[in-house]
Amino acid sequence: MMDPKAITGAQAEELSQAMDRLWIRFLPEIMERVAIMEAAAAAMVSGTITKSERENAVAAAHKLAGTLGTFKLMDGTVLARDLEACFNPGDAPIDGQYAASLVAKLRAVIDSKISSS
Amino acid sequence: MAAVKFDNSRRGTFELARKILIIDDEDDIREVARLSLESVAGWDVIVANSGAQGVARAAEQHPDAILLDVMMPGMDGPSTFRELRKNPDTARIPVLLLTAKVQGTDQRRFADLGVEAILFKPFDPLTLSSQIAGALGWN
Repeated sequence: MMDPKAITGAQAEELSQAMDRLWIRFLPEIMERVAIMEAAAAAMVSGTITKSERENAVAAAHKLAGTLGTFKLMDGTVLARDLEACFNPGDAPIDGQYAASLVAKLRAVIDSKISSS
Repeated sequence: MAAVKFDNSRRGTFELARKILIIDDEDDIREVARLSLESVAGWDVIVANSGAQGVARAAEQHPDAILLDVMMPGMDGPSTFRELRKNPDTARIPVLLLTAKVQGTDQRRFADLGVEAILFKPFDPLTLSSQIAGALGWN
């Protein structure tokens, strides 16, 4: 097996460029997951959130928690983990405003990567 | 069974070209893991986007190891693992769970299944293959 430590600078650069292409390719899905959480947070604030919206938001947060760090956005993974706990119907009720603020921070983290790439 | 493959581009020596099956319903994770294992380790990668498809691919392709997502719609990771173990053709293929669940209770539950290892999302594309190789004693 290729020892990762033995990867040349050119190979690491090639992998990095390929990761950038995957980031661009999957960005629409990532933003769709953020939008699901934004809608759920807004529904929490207005007190109209349904069980289905919460479950969709939990799933979206879980997927982002697993994905963002892979694209070097560990701050995004940490925020997504917090959001997964926020939206989880099994957990104690939480402040919708808090969830909304976390989603806003998460969007800012992603926007920052978009603007720098 | 691993195939012997001449890798002239990297070391100029004979190496084992491992065949890995990735079972994950998330397109992005599947593609990043595939890119990582192919480009860093030079392994052959096959993919499945569901537990049911993964069970079928494993029986057809006989991979050297399976990287299995935990949370999938329909047949989830633990159910998929049990199906793999039921079939004599796939029962001995080492399985590594890939999960974004970080709580200790989840980890203990997964370890009790009898998988070879539990790997965590997010993973580093540069080191995923060495994590797998380390867990399976392939180093």
